Amino acid sequence: MGKAAAGLRGELRELVAENVPADFLGAFTDDPADLETAQGFCRVLAERGLLCLAWPEEYGGAGASVWEQTVVREEMWAHHEPRGAQYMGVNWVGPTIMRHGTAEQRSRHLPPIARGEVIWCQGFSEPDAGSDLASLRTAARRDGDGWRISGQKIWTSYATMAQWCFLLARTSKQEKKQQGLTIFLVPMSDPAIEVRPIDCMMGPHHLNEVFFDDLKVTEADVLGDVDGGWKVVQEVLSFERVGIARYARCERLLRLAPEVLGDRWDDLPDELRGRWAGALTRCRRARLLAYQVVAAQDRGAVRPGDAAAYRIAVTKLDQESAEVLMEIVGSAPPDGEQGRIFRREVEDHWRYAQASTVASGSIEVQRILLARAMLAAS
Amino acid sequence: MNIELSEEAAEYGRQALEAFKAAGGDGLVQQAEAEPGHRAEQVAPVLAELGAWDLDARGDADELEAAAALCRSAGYWAVPYPVAERLARPADLGTDGLVVVAGTAPAGAVAGLDLRWTAVTPDGRRATAAALPPAAPPRESAFVTGLALTPLDEAGAADAALGLVLPCWTLLGMLDRAIDLAREHVLVREQFGRPLAQFQGVQFQLTDAEVERSGLEMMARYALWSGQANLPEALDDALALRLAALEAAETVFRVAHQLHGAIGFCDESPLSWISRYSQPVRRLPLGLSATRDLLARRLGRHALTGRYGDVAERVTS
Repeated sequence: MGKAAAGLRGELRELVAENVPADFLGAFTDDPADLETAQGFCRVLAERGLLCLAWPEEYGGAGASVWEQTVVREEMWAHHEPRGAQYMGVNWVGPTIMRHGTAEQRSRHLPPIARGEVIWCQGFSEPDAGSDLASLRTAARRDGDGWRISGQKIWTSYATMAQWCFLLARTSKQEKKQQGLTIFLVPMSDPAIEVRPIDCMMGPHHLNEVFFDDLKVTEADVLGDVDGGWKVVQEVLSFERVGIARYARCERLLRLAPEVLGDRWDDLPDELRGRWAGALTRCRRARLLAYQVVAAQDRGAVRPGDAAAYRIAVTKLDQESAEVLMEIVGSAPPDGEQGRIFRREVEDHWRYAQASTVASGSIEVQRILLARAMLAAS
Repeated sequence: MNIELSEEAAEYGRQALEAFKAAGGDGLVQQAEAEPGHRAEQVAPVLAELGAWDLDARGDADELEAAAALCRSAGYWAVPYPVAERLARPADLGTDGLVVVAGTAPAGAVAGLDLRWTAVTPDGRRATAAALPPAAPPRESAFVTGLALTPLDEAGAADAALGLVLPCWTLLGMLDRAIDLAREHVLVREQFGRPLAQFQGVQFQLTDAEVERSGLEMMARYALWSGQANLPEALDDALALRLAALEAAETVFRVAHQLHGAIGFCDESPLSWISRYSQPVRRLPLGLSATRDLLARRLGRHALTGRYGDVAERVTS
């Protein structure tokens, strides 16, 4: 992984310790102070050139190695993602605009992302288009020199706080449903957009419905080619080969458990401590599978099957570790302030983990991708 | 941390795979079962030709990787010979091989070989070991026999780590084969007018197996590196590998048998042989529960140490 990456890990941990309260559980809570913490932390990262570390220098980044990017992913997720929703803008909205945006789109959107000032949401899923994304029906029709967009998106994270939406809509009906889709960059402040939050077990701001009622956009809001959106979406997914470093939070909480429980750790059933050891083993396994993909990424030769195998392993790990940790804190509730914080972290982890095999491409889709790779002619 | 095997080691593994195939492939274990007295003769020339006993698994990182690749290739064909155990032989005792033992009935898959053995417990107690006459034919015992131990010393911590790691590479080769066999079978076998591979229920079982196999491969590389680097936690890493290997084996063989259907139980199917001859390495010296239990007891209140950067991972709150 190298010295630069190891040094970066230390720097990030120090910054988290200095700037993020010990009981921080993410930016998306009912307490506005948490969002402020995330925004402040993004400014700190941006000042040090750490927010867009992976971006090319011309856009305010540092051209960091894939290993440094891995360290950022791990440390941020391990500490409840103190960047808030920024990872979406930084990890793929920005890079996609760099690649497909016009000069005007690049100068308009990239600097605010690099400064951590703007939140993006992703307008992909619809009530009848989840894993089968290309079936989406939100439609954009030509209107003079622009477009009118109508339709509904669902499960849209951060839509209540986002300033911009990376929206996928149907612009024509063609032979294949993957054809005729186009990406629009639309401002969420437009009155033709209505956001309705959905109460859910992950907490506020995670799931929303977004309605577009004859939203007027211009040609300048189209990203890439009209009807060429599917290709861009595939690229977006390739930016997210490794995705969230879920193993980092699992491992951090599993490591902390005996420290927080103290002598009560020894009273846990042997079988539970065995499951704890097994979960730690699978943390290592998921991490190494991720590193295999990262190393291949570094060589420019990621095999789709490897990325899918990692994602299957890590999402299952998320749920398994959540069950083990919940049983640990249930069997011997830890005391004191550290114990209180740990119980909240574990409970939060458990709720989040329920979605890990569904969010960002379901585990079934990953299995289909892996099976395709395995059964392809050798 | 090094998670890549060298190209030389990978090439050596491929050569070994071909050499075992040329020497009989699936027939090796079948002949050995029929004529247990001749099992060494079948494979000894192949191993000698490959320079197996010139490999210094303890002295040189490249040679350790080559040894691991050789174990994997031997596992692929269920080679009926304790290749991993011989490659793990102690450097200082002049014996031919090393068997890790635990519990009150020490045993190993070393029946009927005229070799001198060292035994070591996971906590590093070493003994001279003599293989007892097998109590059952190989069809039932898969060449496992009891060992008579004469205690020697307590200097075998590194022996135990290496002695646990190399057989996991053998088991990895067996899982490679089981998945290859299952894949080939579902691509060819048709039911309801189409190949089994087209059924999603079949595909998903195959992917469950592959996730386990590929995860084990990464764990095996990590533990190999950890032992070679003489890390203080090398034994914990070896036990973590063993735990991953045993869990993977349970899933992979379950899936491979299920997807083969009845043909997979027949002697004409290589799967039945690989499956039966995977038993010794999966049960000895510690089965799944005992491995997990020992790892948890050794860890106590400390998680596995991970060395993924230049420094060991530490708890942060």
